[in-house]
Amino acid sequence: MPNRIMAHMVAFYPDRESSIKIAGALIDGGCSYLEIQFPFSDPTADGTYIQKACSRALQEGFKVNPGFRLISKIRKLTDIPIFIMGYANTVCFHGVKKFLDECVCSGAQGIIIPDLPFDYDEGIFSMGEKAGLNVIHVIAPSIHDERLRMILSRGPEYVYAVLRKGITGSYTTIGDENIRFLKKVGAYRVKILSGFGISTKKQVNVLSAYVHASVVGTAFIKEIMQNRGKSPYKIIIKKMHALL
Amino acid sequence: MQRLYNDFFGSFGGRYVAEILRPPLDELERVWLEAMKSDDFQKELDTQLTEFAGRPTPLMFAENATKALKGAKIYIKLEGLANTGAHKINNVLGQALLAKRMGKQRIIAETGAGQHGFATAAVCAKLGFECKVYMGEIDMKRQRPNVFWMELFGAEVEPVKGGSSTLKDAVNEALRDWASSFETTHYLLGSALGPSPYPDMAREFQSVVGREVESEINRRNLDVETLIACVGGGSNAIGFFYPFLDETTPRLIGVEAGGTGNSPGEHASRMSGSGKPGIVHGYKSLFLLDDDGQVGSTHSISAGLDYPGIGPQLAYLGQTKRIEFTKISDREALDALQFFAKNEGIIFALESAHAGAEAIKLAKSLSPEKSIIVNMSGRGDKDLFILAGNLDKDKWHSFLEKEVKENAK
Ligand SMILES: Cc1ncc(COP(=O)(O)O)c(C=O)c1O
Repeated sequence: MPNRIMAHMVAFYPDRESSIKIAGALIDGGCSYLEIQFPFSDPTADGTYIQKACSRALQEGFKVNPGFRLISKIRKLTDIPIFIMGYANTVCFHGVKKFLDECVCSGAQGIIIPDLPFDYDEGIFSMGEKAGLNVIHVIAPSIHDERLRMILSRGPEYVYAVLRKGITGSYTTIGDENIRFLKKVGAYRVKILSGFGISTKKQVNVLSAYVHASVVGTAFIKEIMQNRGKSPYKIIIKKMHALL
Repeated sequence: MQRLYNDFFGSFGGRYVAEILRPPLDELERVWLEAMKSDDFQKELDTQLTEFAGRPTPLMFAENATKALKGAKIYIKLEGLANTGAHKINNVLGQALLAKRMGKQRIIAETGAGQHGFATAAVCAKLGFECKVYMGEIDMKRQRPNVFWMELFGAEVEPVKGGSSTLKDAVNEALRDWASSFETTHYLLGSALGPSPYPDMAREFQSVVGREVESEINRRNLDVETLIACVGGGSNAIGFFYPFLDETTPRLIGVEAGGTGNSPGEHASRMSGSGKPGIVHGYKSLFLLDDDGQVGSTHSISAGLDYPGIGPQLAYLGQTKRIEFTKISDREALDALQFFAKNEGIIFALESAHAGAEAIKLAKSLSPEKSIIVNMSGRGDKDLFILAGNLDKDKWHSFLEKEVKENAK
């Protein structure tokens, strides 16, 4: 299977204009999906790099409505699917229906809200379906088989499979346990988007046999943080080429 | 009849966590509900509460304070006399025994004032758990004595630098730790908040406070007008109010941190109009949020009340009006602390002093046949540096300088 990448980025990181350039670089570099995170003050599922990126983005003036305008702008650059990732509070504070409608208006294909699982979802799954939006379940290797069945037997187009315990960031060595999990998920007809700790081509190569796309996030933010002062476009393009 | 496991209280509560944290929370719910029905568990918990925590704690008639204020009789539940200095030990012992039942070897906790961390570290030393406590950098500075005690018990105290470097950020870090460690580790959350079953569980483990108060009320035949407790996350309040939640009397008053003013960032009072519905730290409740839904900054002189959210059951009982909420400023809390020290020979923790200050206000307006009971959730030993720095600055600073000089030799 080809190496597909779902590239993760934080809206307004390191600032609004640069985040548009980064999106352009990810697209030009050949990513198949864009996952754009709406920063939240208390990102409990994220490691230090994404935490820092989120607080910087908030300092740079990220707000939800300008965030949607950013999505519309990036939408014009590409035809690949764009997913908005965020935390429950952002969605609920703005009103679930309103948030979902604005996702659709901005041209996003879907949303990923890890802390709204299907049984505490504030209605996003049913409302999202009505709005024509892919609301993507996030699953983890420790999930009980029964819960996995409940999620996947509904026939979602995509599922986001976190590769390991913990939070975003640190390197994941892909071993038998991850592969067993991905095979179990792959038994259902669903496009698996999978990540957490993916930063090298080697990992992407291994994963490609089992997933629809590998998710890469922290690795890009790390590149930007470690190369301050350089053009984010060039840095990201280079990283994308190194991954594919 | 109150239910053991509610999950939701009206629209508040829930288990809003990523899938990764579902297995440990599902396990915790199951093991806790089993334990509540187990005689062995209850017996072991009772023994620990008596022998280690020093229960029951006294209910003291504050005779001098009552005379000075010329109003209702003031009684004080001296919860701060429990071992480790606050009500936190009740919840810690309960959860630590559950951790043992679940076969966990390691316990993590967040702490603000350090009282929950202190209790957790002590219980871990006693029951043989490895222990790590997350504490905001600002809180470590202002509650330094508790940091020392935790380390003395063998706990690792991890400074948390992100966000506002206070309690909310310590919760974030504990949740992050737990997402990778839950197979061996129990997250011993310290208040009546967080994803279910924590709010239900903390209430049940803290209800011993209210049950002791109720039996003293009956034994002494008190005509109780009002119960008053401070509210950070809400664990001392919900435990103290517990036997009366389904009744219409007495009045129940929860006191929040009024800080230094009404503007955002100057206080931590969520129930006096500033709190907005949100989902943070795995539960739905009222939070201090900015106009775009980001968690707002808070301030209180007391680290334990300096938190942007409130336990879901308290938020709900505020909506139904069973619990009334008020706020007390930093200054009023300091004054109340001195008032009870001078008149009664007791030192309130700064958190609890908020409840004490409300009692002072209220007592004056009530007749002498009535009684009010204040929960002194903790004692103020931990606040030595804040108190001395505020109340006796020059003497204290020259003492500290001399100490440093002499020890540098
Ligand atoms: C003495 C004392 N009282 C009250 C609180 C506030 O917590 P809660 O509202 O859960 O009782 C704390 C928290 O640190 C505390 O140390």
